[in-house]
Amino acid sequence: MKRILIGAAALALSVIPCVGQSLDDLNIQIHGYATQGFLYTSNQDNVFTTTSSNGSAAWSEAVINLGAAPMPKLRVGIQARYFLLGNYGNSITIDWAQADYKVNDKFGLRVGKVKTPFGLFNETQDIDPSYMFALLPQGLYSIASRNSQLAEYGGVLYGTLNMNTLGKLEYRGWDGVRAVSKDDGNFLGQRESGTTLPNGISGSAIGSTLRWKLPVDGLMLGASLNYVFKKSAPIVNTPTTGASQTTTNGTETVSPFSNPYYFAKYEHSKVMLAGEVYKNAAKQFVALTGAPVTEAINDDFVWYAMATYKVTDKLTAGVYDTQDINHGAALGPKRYTKDWVISGRYDFNQFLYAKAEEHFIDGTRTDFDVTLNPNGLLPSTKLTIFKAGVSF
Amino acid sequence: MKKLLYAFLLVASASIFAASAQAQAIVIANPSVKSSDVSKSDLRDVFTGAATSLKDGSHVTPVLLKSGTVNDEFLAAFIGKNDTSFRAGWRSLVFSGQASMPRSLDSEAAVVEYVAHNSGAIGYISKSTPHEGVKVLSVK
Repeated sequence: MKRILIGAAALALSVIPCVGQSLDDLNIQIHGYATQGFLYTSNQDNVFTTTSSNGSAAWSEAVINLGAAPMPKLRVGIQARYFLLGNYGNSITIDWAQADYKVNDKFGLRVGKVKTPFGLFNETQDIDPSYMFALLPQGLYSIASRNSQLAEYGGVLYGTLNMNTLGKLEYRGWDGVRAVSKDDGNFLGQRESGTTLPNGISGSAIGSTLRWKLPVDGLMLGASLNYVFKKSAPIVNTPTTGASQTTTNGTETVSPFSNPYYFAKYEHSKVMLAGEVYKNAAKQFVALTGAPVTEAINDDFVWYAMATYKVTDKLTAGVYDTQDINHGAALGPKRYTKDWVISGRYDFNQFLYAKAEEHFIDGTRTDFDVTLNPNGLLPSTKLTIFKAGVSF
Repeated sequence: MKKLLYAFLLVASASIFAASAQAQAIVIANPSVKSSDVSKSDLRDVFTGAATSLKDGSHVTPVLLKSGTVNDEFLAAFIGKNDTSFRAGWRSLVFSGQASMPRSLDSEAAVVEYVAHNSGAIGYISKSTPHEGVKVLSVK
């Protein structure tokens, strides 16, 4: 698979003279982008499985996108991504591969591996050139466990209904199977304690999103509900500590859960304001042969409020505050992450940009792992990010 | 005081000139498009990928200028964005599989040529550019 993808990427790059433009006869378009990030944490805490306390450049992405419109209402396309973040990724994956038939503005259908359109940013959370922050609020849009959220094998119905004086209502409905790979960040803690999911875990998910564009210019209110059916997968456990290194097999089961999202966005002139709240309550059971079933409970409530301002045509500044609190966890810094963020983005031209960002993080609920923090975690961390990107 | 007055007049003239310069961008469409006018909100939806048809039901396909003054004027006056934000918006649609990037052409003459020969095409040029074979849509 990797070879095929590399071959496809090489083929695409061989026609780079046509970058960003349609190949007229075939209605084919080729686009792409690449980013390189640098992370530095002010104390001993390492984030995202990097060695950020020493400064880390282990954050790279490259995306190639091929699309064609063989008929006016039909589009087909595929997008491949190379992703590296610390110990995550370092692999090429398919973001989406789909056929999209848009009957009219009121109704369209996408099938294949499709992006799951919940929340304010889920469809675009991995498209760095499209937003100003280097990191979106991690309680909702975790860069370390995108697999579990970004896309699914199935379909999306979509459209926009004109409600005249009441504005416009955009709808999305999805149904599909979401496959989470064994390397996903969701399983990091388990991996570090010696439990792996050789086949990852898959399960069905359905949901819908409504976005109401009010008659007030630039104002949108929205809500999503994402329902994930019960899923289970085989696991293998080899303890990493203690005298016994015996391998045991078992099963991991995640009980059904639903995630509601409520969000709002206002854009006018140089200002953008947005906010979102999200709830995630899920139970995870691990049953190993000869051992009692263990249960892990996540009961997260996450919110953020953000604002950006276009200082000049090329410079945008932004700030956000976010909190992720796991009400199912014991009291202490592991129960929450509170993050104040100040950020700036400079667009040198249509293609090249740079971002600089400072995070003031309180708590260790998200983004920290055990293996790379052998001396434990301090409750407060400052994270500095520099990132550069190019797109065509 | 006199200097202050001259300075004020200069700024005022510049503002008037800038305003009239903004009005130089016009919207053109292939004659297959039924409407002779378009609302600013519909125009913004079409050029930001939120819609592919006008109120009269005409299917439309936007075509862009790659860069330049007319491009900047059109985006500022009718879409409410600068070129960087405008293209970032399209990139988010393209890379999330929601749309294809509109065709971007090098010159206003090329835009006229393309719009004239492609059903449903809609674009923008300066008022002074010859535009035979296309219809001009007034923006309400």
